[in-house]
Amino acid sequence: MKNLLYKEFCLSTSPISYIFIVFSLMVLIPGYPILMGAFFICMGIFQSYQLIRDQNDILYSALLPVRKRDVVTAKYISDAIIQAVGFLIMCALTVLRMTVLSGSPAYTGNVMMPADPVFLAFVLIIFAEFNVIFLGGFFKTAYYFGKPFILFIIASMITVGVGEALHHMPRFPAGSLPFQLSVLAFGVVIYTVSFLLSLKSSQNRFEKIDL
Amino acid sequence: MNSALFVDGLCKEYPGFLLDRVSFSVPKGSITGFIGRNGAGKSTTLKASLNLVHADSGSISYFGLPLKEHENEIKQRIGFAGGAVSYYKKKKLSEIARITGRFYENWDSDAFGKYMRLFSIDPEKTPDKLSEGMRVKFSLALALSHRAELLILDEPTSGLDPVSREELLETFLMLREKGISVLFSTHITSDLDRCADRIVYIQKGRIIAESGIGEFTDSYRTVSSADGFSANAEYILGRCKTRDGETGLIKTENACAFEGSEIRIPTLEDIMVHLEKEDI
Repeated sequence: MKNLLYKEFCLSTSPISYIFIVFSLMVLIPGYPILMGAFFICMGIFQSYQLIRDQNDILYSALLPVRKRDVVTAKYISDAIIQAVGFLIMCALTVLRMTVLSGSPAYTGNVMMPADPVFLAFVLIIFAEFNVIFLGGFFKTAYYFGKPFILFIIASMITVGVGEALHHMPRFPAGSLPFQLSVLAFGVVIYTVSFLLSLKSSQNRFEKIDL
Repeated sequence: MNSALFVDGLCKEYPGFLLDRVSFSVPKGSITGFIGRNGAGKSTTLKASLNLVHADSGSISYFGLPLKEHENEIKQRIGFAGGAVSYYKKKKLSEIARITGRFYENWDSDAFGKYMRLFSIDPEKTPDKLSEGMRVKFSLALALSHRAELLILDEPTSGLDPVSREELLETFLMLREKGISVLFSTHITSDLDRCADRIVYIQKGRIIAESGIGEFTDSYRTVSSADGFSANAEYILGRCKTRDGETGLIKTENACAFEGSEIRIPTLEDIMVHLEKEDI
């Protein structure tokens, strides 16, 4: 697995996937739907899959002396690492906005979703959607990715809309920190469970695909 | 077990195409040509042999080991190259080799350097800067650097100019001297005349011949006739129009039925053309 991960980061992953982690800084943009940062990070990962297909990465990987299911696992883990780096940056910036910058005039009149643990939970849900809809869809064929990506765009845009709408509901944004942290914990569970289920399903599908 | 590869009763059905009980073997240290016209099932067979395509039934073993149970161990000992396939077009060859080498227990960096020099390939180039012939040679260098004992090559010579083809075929002969087995698919029969010890002939998903190349060509004769073969038509396996009439392909044992006609020992191309034309 170590060698496969090394291969993923050196040969398979597009530089754009790394560069798009920068979109996690969108958390700092006042008056903006900051959940879009999570979407852009996923879009960066999507670029790697274009490269994977163009460069015959799947065939190359399948010919290596490794188990086919490990090829899938390495792709899931490398994508999860990129998501994790983006998420950690978002966590740090969220803490910054909730503490040092909490009194900043730029954020006090913010009508959009604030940076708080609920926002982070929604970030994880968008990442989970990417893992289930896009990655799960891609590994049905290990070739076609157009439809899975369009479905992911639709799902993530709805999630962004729901996140912003909840912010305007009378009671939700006023939730206490423990309540918000429990929502974040729920997001972590959703992400973890969906990651494992999608991984398992993709491993099984990839074993049966004719390349 | 003297076979580097043994394929037994391989079946795979697609809509409109059936790979039908394909069986053949590649003896150790031999060059075996896998021949058939476009769409005959060569690539599907080779991919099924590598578990890239899942056969409906049949078994595959390498060096006496079943592929299903020993896939990783077998992949350590074989190499594959598709003529037209190029991996990681924008990455340096040295980088691809360095990362590939991490997966192989017997990877030999010095051998890789030696083969790159032998094939006159600059490791600092990227695959998109290589010709098709050079890309095949790079795949060979990768396979040989992990000491592959069997090379499986899908149409390695198609798309190559005559000089590059000759160089590649010479490389196969050099590898055979080292005891490395080669199985390569092609529809260019002159490649086989040049270097193959054996042929496996596939037609519409079925193996119709597997033998030594001399033995195969010697089992057929072509006969020429200015006015057709109405008298002995039952012996004609395939026929082609010529400027002066017609040529027919017959089994050698039936040659006595054509006394008085011009009878010749056919080339591999003659046999293939006659058999395939009759099949249309």
